[in-house]
Amino acid sequence: MFIPLLIAVAIIAVYVVSIYNDLQKLKTQIMASIQEIGNQLKRQASLIPNLLETVKGYLKHEKSIFKMLTDARKAAQKAEKTGSSKDIEDAINQIQQAIPKLSIAVEDNPEMKADKTVTKFMNELTDTADKLMYARRSVIDLSQTYNEKLVIFPSNMIANMFGFKPEKGLATALTGSHVEVSSNEMKDVKVDL
Amino acid sequence: MTHYQVVAQNKRRSTIIMVLFVVFIVGASYVMAEGLGYGLSMVGCALIISGLISFFSYWWSDKIILGISGAREAKRKEFFDFYTVAENIAMGQRMPMPKLYVINDTAMNAFATGRDPEHAVVCATTGLLSRLNRAEVEAVVAHELSHVRNYDIRLMSIVTILVGLVALLSDWFLRMTYFGGGRKRDSDQGSGQIQIIMFVAGLILAILSPLIAQLIKLTISRRREFLADASGVAMTKNPEGLIKALEKISQDKEPLEAANKATAHLYISDPLKNIHGGVGMFAKMFMTHPPIAERVSALKQL
Repeated sequence: MFIPLLIAVAIIAVYVVSIYNDLQKLKTQIMASIQEIGNQLKRQASLIPNLLETVKGYLKHEKSIFKMLTDARKAAQKAEKTGSSKDIEDAINQIQQAIPKLSIAVEDNPEMKADKTVTKFMNELTDTADKLMYARRSVIDLSQTYNEKLVIFPSNMIANMFGFKPEKGLATALTGSHVEVSSNEMKDVKVDL
Repeated sequence: MTHYQVVAQNKRRSTIIMVLFVVFIVGASYVMAEGLGYGLSMVGCALIISGLISFFSYWWSDKIILGISGAREAKRKEFFDFYTVAENIAMGQRMPMPKLYVINDTAMNAFATGRDPEHAVVCATTGLLSRLNRAEVEAVVAHELSHVRNYDIRLMSIVTILVGLVALLSDWFLRMTYFGGGRKRDSDQGSGQIQIIMFVAGLILAILSPLIAQLIKLTISRRREFLADASGVAMTKNPEGLIKALEKISQDKEPLEAANKATAHLYISDPLKNIHGGVGMFAKMFMTHPPIAERVSALKQL
């Protein structure tokens, strides 16, 4: 009588601990991904002026591309500051529209195509845009998994017991006390090529 | 169908095949062992031998394969797209950054190895990297990392152990029949009859089962390719990238010199190219990979 009871209690304890740890892990992962979005927005904002500097000479007559890129930079800076999901969305969209336009211009211009610095900046910018997208997707996926655990039985009981709150995902601010721990590494995004 | 459903469906199907495979192996081993009158100790011996051989190749699979293929490490500077897409997918999947290698070969191919996500290795040929654009390279890397994430390397190693087990058993069976083996010949009449039936069944299985086991292994391999395609798309959310990459790869008719039959199932497309498009049901049974046309049409459902 005593031993089966003990086993049952042990199994329940293991389950409770594993759910608790899962939830905590997900929370830190969500924070890390949110921080990553901030990182990449910063990187993007600092890459664009450098890129513009290198292509300035080639693209005298392509004012629209310049405008698109400066707008994308402003959007990135704004998103980084406000951290609202709409602004992040907006920043991602703007850069993803600007990059193909710029690559067409590069393809059309043999001089620019041969310039290694331009291609390097283009590559870095494309990668930053991709990283931004992946980080955003991670936040969405992780928040979904986390929030699901909070509502489905029986993990919801454990979540209630320890007072876990639903994650707002992208609505969480990019800056603040929750990302402060490593905000040092966020300060200077060095673009080295 | 969404990619979530496709991944789930592929997992279900490959579980069914694996269960069938294990049932077949256990059944065939049992009949062969009983047929010879040695019982299960013989199966145990064969399992240990086959297991030891495969265990070594599994544990050092990354190093062995990279050694055989003559691969060198891919640096961020030199292979920017390859490196950064792998970085992004690893970030998105929250798995450690895989080691990246390239093979200097104009044939278009890529493979993954390593026993778990911590030891993942993705290797691509320079031919593939130079002819695919960023989105396509991303799709290929996602496909390869799916193999790692789905533990296909582990799965195929276990499957190889079991195929090796059947091959050993049938080899022993045929040898012992030749030497007139069998210990329990002098048992009583009733069980003697069963003994003969078991012996005949064992003989048939000894001849057929290595082939059957091999065929099931190839079926599993093909099933895992579909699964890796689907879960790769789940990582990139861009089926178009993989479709384009597969189409480009299928137009490349050059076989990869660095590949051989032992490593063929690891690649994104069959590196040996010994069977070409428009294959019949029979030829298809002997392929490590499904025909690319079938993979593309599966992806177009997404």
